[in-house]
Amino acid sequence: MELDDLLKRDRPPGKGAWSPTMDDFEKLFWKCKGLIKERERNVAFWKSTNENLSMAYDKLDDQERELEKAYGIITDDLKVANRIQSSLLPSLNGQMQDELEFAVYHKQLAEVGGDYYDFFKTKNGGYAIGVFDISGHGVAAALVMAYLKAQFTLAINLFDSPKSIVEYVNSQSVGFLRNVKKYATLNFVLFNNDRVNYVCGGGNGLLVHDYTPILFKKQDYFLGLKQRTYNEYTLPFVEGDLLVLYTDGITEAQNGNFEDYSIRRLNALIVANANREVTEILDAAIGDFRRFCRRQQDDITLIILRKRRRS
Amino acid sequence: MANEETKVFGALIQGYLGACLNLNIVAGKKIMDFQTQIQTTGWYPLSRWVELERTVLQSYKNANAILVRVGMEMMKAWYNFGPGKTLINRGSDFLHYQTGSGGYESVIKGPKKQVGSFELVKMDGRKGFATVHSTTPFNRNMECGVLIGGMLAPGDLDYVDVTNSKDPDTLEIEFH
Repeated sequence: MELDDLLKRDRPPGKGAWSPTMDDFEKLFWKCKGLIKERERNVAFWKSTNENLSMAYDKLDDQERELEKAYGIITDDLKVANRIQSSLLPSLNGQMQDELEFAVYHKQLAEVGGDYYDFFKTKNGGYAIGVFDISGHGVAAALVMAYLKAQFTLAINLFDSPKSIVEYVNSQSVGFLRNVKKYATLNFVLFNNDRVNYVCGGGNGLLVHDYTPILFKKQDYFLGLKQRTYNEYTLPFVEGDLLVLYTDGITEAQNGNFEDYSIRRLNALIVANANREVTEILDAAIGDFRRFCRRQQDDITLIILRKRRRS
Repeated sequence: MANEETKVFGALIQGYLGACLNLNIVAGKKIMDFQTQIQTTGWYPLSRWVELERTVLQSYKNANAILVRVGMEMMKAWYNFGPGKTLINRGSDFLHYQTGSGGYESVIKGPKKQVGSFELVKMDGRKGFATVHSTTPFNRNMECGVLIGGMLAPGDLDYVDVTNSKDPDTLEIEFH
């Protein structure tokens, strides 16, 4: 007997009044009681479920606090690492300042990174510059950078030529770099009166001599790949000439259409602006790069040098 | 016999697991592992069951109502998708099915001391009262749910309630 059935009997089709039996009422009573019991069980079930949810939220809160704490420790460590790495980057020495106009854009993708440049004073009183891009990013690359800096600082006091210096560093580092599965592109340039001598292992270099662009020959190996000899090249570098050294963080960056910024585009922009101040050339290059690609995708180093004109 | 291990029928574990998943009361890799590892026709150490039960109990401050619902859900599936319809026609048949631990012994085997029993000891169909005595290693709240779910499944009863407040091992059933 359902409630509906009882109500329908209120209007019987034929004669006779509706006369529910005690059995009908009893059935209805248990049906109601059954529904009430079902409701009680549902309430108890959902109450436990809600408590479980609340427990889960508490656990999540605890985990979030722990994550925040761990993140804080890592962030603090990275800030320290960033300060250490920045302090490893060089400033121009007096002689270089006298002879060169200088502009640099150096930005790591993370707090620390694998792009590295350095100025060296040679043992016979000259000076040199090195630009390196260690594979990967972050802390591992930064540690390799510190290692290479130490190696170059040692080598510069032992040898005169870029070739000997790079070969020494490579021979000393190849075992270590292969162990840690890292390598580094390099450009190492020694300034030698009206010339530069360079070794290029996968780095990018452009020299604008008398408004004529000359690309660095970059067929030599990266540092850390194998034990081998390197080639050294000489180019003229007279007053007013530009020397541009950069890593692939700019040229391999892609826009929304997956197009590379490209070496050709950067070199063309530099050549077109070659008669401007080095800081203006740098601003033009970075401005163009940012318009092309809004998000940095790799460590970036771009160094522009000009040999000062003697007035 | 002394070294005999208590084993639980895979279909029972899968039933418990299915009920938990249907009710969304457990989740995660551990439960998914159970689902792939347990075959319905296999027999598994009681420890697997205990492990599964612990997974549910750990998630709740008070799991009593949850386990009642799990038991009910298990028997709903047993009746609608398992052998239930061929074994019982009415709600009270489910109680008779427990006579002599018949139903229980189809899903667990091992030393009597460990296995225990789940037995109908008293029944008054006219008044709608019955008593089941349980000494199984399973959770009593889940067993309350099993009785409620098993008796409600055929659809002829309007009211079923099971309590064990006086003695945890004595399940008092009222049905109409």
